[in-house]
Formats: sequence, structure tokens, C-alpha cells
Amino acid sequence: MRGVKERAASTGPLTPLAPLPPGRARPARRGLWPYVLIAPAVAGMVYLLVYPLLRAVLISLQDFGLRQLIMGEAEFVGLRNYETLLGDPRFWEVVRRTFVFMVLCVVLILVISTLVAVMVERLGRFGRTAVLSALVLAWAMPVVAATTVFQWLFHSEFGIVNWLLTGIGFESFDRYPWFANGPAAFAILVTLIVWQSVPFAAVTLYSALTTVPAELYESARLDGATDRKIFTAITFPMIRPIFMLVLSLEVIWTFKAFVQIWVMTRGGPGDATTILPVYAVQTALSSQRYDLGSAASMVTVVLMSGVLVLYFRQMFKQEDELK
Amino acid sequence: MTVTRPRIRRIPLNAAAAVTVLVCLFPVYWMISTAFKPSRDIQSDRPRLIPYTWTLDHFRKAVEADGFGLFWRNSILVTLSAVLLALLVALAAAFAVARLQWRGRSQFMLMVFVAQMAPWESLIIPIYIISRDTDMLDRLPTLTLVYFMITLPFTIVVLRGFIATIPPELEEAAQVDGCTRAGAFRHVAFPLLAPGLMATSLFGYITAWNEFAYANFLIIKQQDNRTLPVWLSSFQNTFGTDWGATMAASTLFALPALVIFLLLQRHVTSGFAAGAVKG
Amino acid sequence: MKFRVLAAVSALVMTTGLSACSSSGDSDGGSGGGGTTIDVWLMRDSVSAEFQAEFVKGFEAAHPDIEVKVQIQEWDGIGQKVTAALASNDAPDVIETGNTQVAQFAESGGLLDLSDRVEEMGGEDWLKGLAEPGAYEGKQYGIPYYAANRVVIYRTDLFEQAGIDAKAVKTRDQWIEATEKLDKGGNQGIYLPGQMWYALGGFIWDEGGDFATESGGTWKGALDTPEAVRGMEFYARLQALGKGPKDSDEAEPPQAEVMATGKVAQVISSPGGAKAVIENNPALKDKLGFFPIPGKTADTPGAVFTGGSDLVVPTVAGNHEAAVTFIKELTGDEWQKKLAVAMSYVPNKTTLAGAVAADPGASAMAVGAANGHATPNTPGWAAVEAENPIKDYMTAVLTGGDPRREGAKASEEITRAMNSGS
Repeated sequence: MRGVKERAASTGPLTPLAPLPPGRARPARRGLWPYVLIAPAVAGMVYLLVYPLLRAVLISLQDFGLRQLIMGEAEFVGLRNYETLLGDPRFWEVVRRTFVFMVLCVVLILVISTLVAVMVERLGRFGRTAVLSALVLAWAMPVVAATTVFQWLFHSEFGIVNWLLTGIGFESFDRYPWFANGPAAFAILVTLIVWQSVPFAAVTLYSALTTVPAELYESARLDGATDRKIFTAITFPMIRPIFMLVLSLEVIWTFKAFVQIWVMTRGGPGDATTILPVYAVQTALSSQRYDLGSAASMVTVVLMSGVLVLYFRQMFKQEDELK
Repeated sequence: MTVTRPRIRRIPLNAAAAVTVLVCLFPVYWMISTAFKPSRDIQSDRPRLIPYTWTLDHFRKAVEADGFGLFWRNSILVTLSAVLLALLVALAAAFAVARLQWRGRSQFMLMVFVAQMAPWESLIIPIYIISRDTDMLDRLPTLTLVYFMITLPFTIVVLRGFIATIPPELEEAAQVDGCTRAGAFRHVAFPLLAPGLMATSLFGYITAWNEFAYANFLIIKQQDNRTLPVWLSSFQNTFGTDWGATMAASTLFALPALVIFLLLQRHVTSGFAAGAVKG
Repeated sequence: MKFRVLAAVSALVMTTGLSACSSSGDSDGGSGGGGTTIDVWLMRDSVSAEFQAEFVKGFEAAHPDIEVKVQIQEWDGIGQKVTAALASNDAPDVIETGNTQVAQFAESGGLLDLSDRVEEMGGEDWLKGLAEPGAYEGKQYGIPYYAANRVVIYRTDLFEQAGIDAKAVKTRDQWIEATEKLDKGGNQGIYLPGQMWYALGGFIWDEGGDFATESGGTWKGALDTPEAVRGMEFYARLQALGKGPKDSDEAEPPQAEVMATGKVAQVISSPGGAKAVIENNPALKDKLGFFPIPGKTADTPGAVFTGGSDLVVPTVAGNHEAAVTFIKELTGDEWQKKLAVAMSYVPNKTTLAGAVAADPGASAMAVGAANGHATPNTPGWAAVEAENPIKDYMTAVLTGGDPRREGAKASEEITRAMNSGS
């Protein structure tokens, strides 16, 4: 049991820092080869990611508007943009909304996808193929197309959702303008993001479930354990690392959700669906305050890393255990 | 275990499976069926779940819209080159990380992981400025490079997991037989990696195929260099209320992704995820 | 083995990618046969395809050394697009922008100062509603292109059936009364979508209010004032006399299509809208009439927003002289007259008003134009239009929100948006 757990925990992308399992690693080879191999990746990251990021930091420290974008020559203003931003109650409202949005989405995604994964494992061959194919199709649906389709589903006049709701007796949904009502628009976006994210999470978790050796279940059953007990005592601990990977990826992805919101509501009505990335783009591109927009993005990165520190700590802890 | 379970107990399970399938597929179905319905059926007070009459008008309208074929070509070109580039670069890096011991390895992987959090929406302005100053605006290779970078970190992380599943002993055996190190990797490990590469590339493919913000902001004057997502969004403006045509355009846009995913379904569900899990 | 194939394929893709790009670059410079090629951005639907083709042909015949490449831009997200163009190294040579958008681009320094060309273009006769927003700090950046304002387009047959004389509809009360009569038996009295904020602007101006007011250099949203609340209340009364969706604007669905297919007695639109209606339903050809939007009293017409476009030249554009030639031609008397007739626009000069005197739509428009207004002329206004809290506000009120409370909320957002710009 311990051996299995170790194997599951020590390898794979979930613990990128973990050393390779003993016996697999080759004896240390000095030389330039590894550096030659990573050179293109590092060069790419430095030029296409680090450098633009530094430029963004610089912009956030300058007075940078439309004029500066066109004419150049921006003035350095230190932390003034950050002061403006952090002193704005609207910004904190957006931060709060971002966390609500993220927690809501991530919890829904993980709960639903765990249930789906467990369900798929128990299905027969036919059912399994059917569900997996359906999941894959939903997953493959391009974001822009999916967003357009959701707009159409919830269309106030000809949308099928209003028709169905009216049909089963909710007369108040006749021509109900979903996107005009803040909480309703928010709920639709959560639905859309959950719909788009569950397939990846469910398929990944399902694969994790298939790696749990069947003998474990059998022996537990012989000991008289209930289904629930088996899940909490055996299944979940076994898939925990991959669960954590999915969790952290979903945190990153929902925190960065932008295209769906931008295409569907532009953050409206009012500010009801404005979360941090939308706020940053709105500030930068609509109000032409590139400096404030950059500052908002930097704050977003810091907040997001804060959330993920927990995950990284877990990762480092596992690494220590193995030493 | 499942065989011995009484039939009755499986009913809720099967019902749940049916609901899952329904929920997953309905929006996809609704997109496709709307695309085939005549306009008067679309804008009717009683939507029909199954089209009464079928029409190809909407598809005709979408395909005949300005530049459709050109933008398709652009999208495919940009997406494929970005994904292939990312695969090549990631393969080298993942090999180094999974198979070789060197100083800075953990730091490198940490950097890769952090790179996944990059706030791409906010890097538009700096990247715009950099492209402008290097005369790379309005060009498809700029988009290729950006998409390459967006997909690279995830590709490295997943490929590293795949490479680690292949026992190095296999390559060592090949090396004994006289292959070079690289040759051993190429002849022995690479074929085993194929499903992993395929699955990983799907992620990159979807990301690059979908990308809108950069395509919209970096292609300015050369409108012939626009990509499909940008076209779709302007199409939506032009034919905003023609939901049939909009859905037809969405269908055409989604089609390659849907087909590829369905064809590679086995690799996606088992290959990709298992690779990520088992490491 | 597979690896080699993959590498070969990727190399192939990369090279085709690069060559595809460089070839399109070549064609840009190469075409034109030694002359100059200018890129022109016009807005979607601002001119018909026929007029555009006719003009380009005429222009190229008159100036054989200049080749014109027109690209049609979408209104949605145009601010960003123009920003990206102005900041690039290679902008289009002529750009059409909404008259209210010129100020912010002029402020940024991205536009060519055309003040010394005003005289040769006959600038003294330009419409104020186009020329003034086109100027910034005393310099002329935007050259007036065309203007239009909204009128009521009505179905003559439905008015007859209901026994209403459209000429007699002069005041708001008469208008409501007539519309109530029309809104019967499957007919819609008026099709007014919930977010036609320019129409709301007219009603608010009628009451003496505005979207925003300035004091001491800072702008403040004014939708919570009693004047604005009264304007909105009138909008809501009118809106209820038809089936206009409460959550969208006149573009979605295009109201011309709605009027073409449904039994709609009236829409608020620029007169050009009538052409689109007939295009969609030729049977209505002789059944459309126009009257100015009624005001509060019979002696003043309803206030209207003077909409329209200016043409600007980016500083970084390659061919300033050819661009100015193009603008001079398109805004010159000859083509302006043709344009006004073809599109039912108000020509850019007051002296050309006679060109459209015979057109019933244009003459109704001219009556309203006398009471024309503009949105606040400040660089900050563009940010308001980009986010458009006014639309959200209208939907909120129409779906049962309290006008005062929603107005206060929207005003706050307008204030923020207007002052957030640099």
C-alpha cells in the first residue's frame, strides 16, 4: 500500500519538483546537453513571457495612457497607480467577486467531476464509452463557439431555456432577460464555465480512479467496509495528488476566465460579472488607462500565487517526505 | 464487482449517466440543429427540438461570407505551426528534465509551472509594443509565437510525465546495440510517446484555435491575416440576429476540434489523462 | 521514423507560414502599378456597397495615381481597433470615426492636424454638429463626413386604418394617444427596443437634462436628476406600446427587419432605415412615411442626437497627401450630394441641404436637426460609450427597477468612466 501511494505521489506533473524514482534516474551526467535541450524553452520563456511581463511591470509604474502608447515617452510615477487602484472601493468589490466566482466554480467543478468520474467507473462498457464520448465532445467545443451557443440558449425571446421554464409553469420566465439581471448573468457564466471545465476534470479523475488496484477494494469489502467508507479511506487518498493537480489547474483557469465573460457580457450588467481579468482589460482598453490595467494584472498575479502557495507547499512537503 | 451488482441498483446509475450525456451534448446538439433550421423555425415562439425541415442556407451564408476560406487557412496554419513548435521545444526540455540530472532542474520546472499562471490578457499591451518595435505587427508568425508560448508550459509538464513512464532500460538496451543516445530515444522511446504527443497537442490545438484577444489586437491593417475567432465575432456583429447563420459559423468553427477529439477519443481519455496520472 | 515525419511536416508548416505572410506583405506594396495605394477604413453600413463602388471607381478615374483599398470595420470594439492602428507603425491612411470619438484620439496625438486644409475644403459651411466634435483645442482633426438624426418612420396603411393623420402628431401627448390607438389587434404601436439610448437622450434633452454635466472641469453623470427621470418615464410609457425587447438595442434584432416582417406601425430610426425595411420587404415600398420626433409642445420638435462621422488621418499613415486628396473628394460638394441622396443623410455642409429637399425622410430629419444635440464633447465620453452603463440602466428601469435608484447607480458609473481617462 505504501509503495503504491509513493508511486502515485512521487511522479507525474503533479510533483514536478520531485526527484525521479530511484533506479530510474541515470547516474549524474555532467555536460552541456541538458542545457542545450532546455535552451529553446528557456529562450522562448524569457523573450515571450518574462520580457513582456517586465514591460508590463514597467507600465504599471508609469503614467501610461493612450497618448503614451502612441507617442512613447511615459513618465515614471512610482507606485502611484497601485495607490489609486488599492484605494478604489470598486476594485475591492471586484476582488471579492473574483473570489466568490472562483470558489463557486471550482467547488462545483470538483464535486460534479468527482461524481461523474466515480459514476463512469461503475458503468458498463457501453455506458462508459457513451459518457466519455459526450464529455470529450463538450470538452472539444471551442470557447467562443460555446459562449455563443449559451447566449443563444438563454436568449430572452427565442431562447430554449425560457421556453422550457415557461412551459413547465414558470410564467415569469416569459421573455426573461437573463443578461440584464446581474445575478442571473453571473449564474449563466458559472454554468458555462462549469460545463466547459467538468469534462477535463472528470476524465482526469476517472483515469486516476482506474489506477487504484482492484485488490484494495476487494480486501476492504471483505473487511465489511461501506461504499462511502471505501471512498474516503481508500479511493480518495489514492487519487488525492491528481485531485490536487486538477484543483490547482482549475483555480488558475477560473481565476483567468476572460474570453467567456468578455464575449458574453463584457463584465455587465453594471459590474455584476466583472472579475479581475475583465476589470484589467476594461481599464486598459476601454478607459485607455494601460498603467492602471497593468497594475491590476500584477495584483491579480500576486493574489493567484497566494492561492496557489498552498499547493506548492504541499508539493514541497511531498518532496521532503521522499528524501 | 459490477457484474454481481443487482440490475435494479443500476437504474439510478444509468439514469445519472443519461443525464450527464444529455447535459454535455445538448448545447452541441442545439448549435448544430439550429444551424440546419430555417429562420422562421428559429425565431418562433415554440422552439422545435428536432428540425421539421432542414436547410443548408445558413451554411451557405457563412461560407460565402467574406474571406471565410482564407481565415480558415490562417487559423489552421497558425495553430499547427504553434503546436508543432511547442511539441518540439517541449520534447527536448521534457527529455532533459525526465532523463538527465543537472543543476537547476527543479528551478526550471518551477519556472515552467509558474509560467502556466501567466496573465496573458494583460500582456497584450507589452506584446503589442514589442511587436510594433520589432516590426512584427500584422503578421501571422507573431501569433504563432504567442500561441507557442501560451501552450508551451502545459506541454512540457505533461510530456515530462509521459517520458517518465517509459523505462530507460529500453533505450539503454538500444544503446548497447550501437545506437547513439539520441538515436535510441528516437527509435525506442518516441513511438511509445506518440499517444502522449497526440493528446498533449490537442490541448495546444484547442488553445491556439480558440484564441481571440491577440488575434484581434495584433492583426490590424492586414485583414487578410485575420483568424477564425476574430471572424466569428465580427460575423456575429454582422449577422448578429441571424442566429441560424451564427450557429452555422460556430459549427464550422467547432467542427475540426470536435472531429479530432472524437477520432482521438481513446487517446484523450486514456492516453492523456493516464499519462498525467501515472507519470 | 515518426519523428522525422513530424519534423518535416513542422518545417513545412513553418515555411509556408512565413512565406504566406511575406507574400501578403509583398502584394501590399507591389500592387498599384507604381502609384500610391491608400487604405481606407469605413464603418459597417455607413455607405452602401453600390455607393462605395461608384465612388472608388470615380475617384480612381480622377486620380489615376492613387489606388484605394477600402476595408469595412465593425462598430463593436472599434475604439480598440483604431487605438491599435494609431499606435502602430503602419496605420491605414484614412479612418472614419464616430463624431463623438474624435476628441480622445486627437488628445492622444495620433491624428494629423488638418487645420490648414479647412479653408480649401470649404470648412466655413460645415455642420456644427460634425465640425465641433472634430476639433480639439482649436485645431481641426476630423473632417465632417455625413450626419443623420432620428425621425419616426411609420406605416401609412396602418395609420390610415386607425384613422390617424401623421401630420397632426406634433406633441408627445398626441404621439402617445396615436400610438395607443395603433397598438391593437396584433399590431405593434411602436417597436422600441429597451436600449435605444440615443432616443432616451432626446427625451432627456427635451426635459432640460443631459447624460452628464460639467462643473469646474470634472464631469458628473446626471441620470439621477428629476429631468432624466422624467425622460426615462416617457421612454418607458412609449416602449410599453409595442413588443420591443427590453434587453437589447436597435441592432439586435435589426429593427428594420422587425418592421419589415411584423405589423409594426412605427420605429425610431434615421431615414436611411426605411431603405433597409424595403430591402427586406419590397411590399412596403409605398407604405412608409416620416415625421420628426414630436416634442413636448407643438412649436418645438423633439430633441435629437446629431449622429454622424468624421474622417481622420493617422499621424503614422504613409501617404498623408493622398489621404487628404481622398478626403477632399469624398467630403466635396459633388459626392456629398450623391451620398446624401443615396443614403438619406444630412450632407456635411449647410449649403448642400437643398440636395435632399425632395426627399420626405430627409426633410423630416431637417426639422428635427434644428433641435440637434451632441453627447458631452470630452475625451472621457468615449469610455462611457465603451462600457455603456446607460443601456444597463434602461433595461433595469424597464424591468421594474426604481428609476431614481438605478439612475443614481448609472450616474456613478458614468462619472467614474468619464474621469478615469487620462
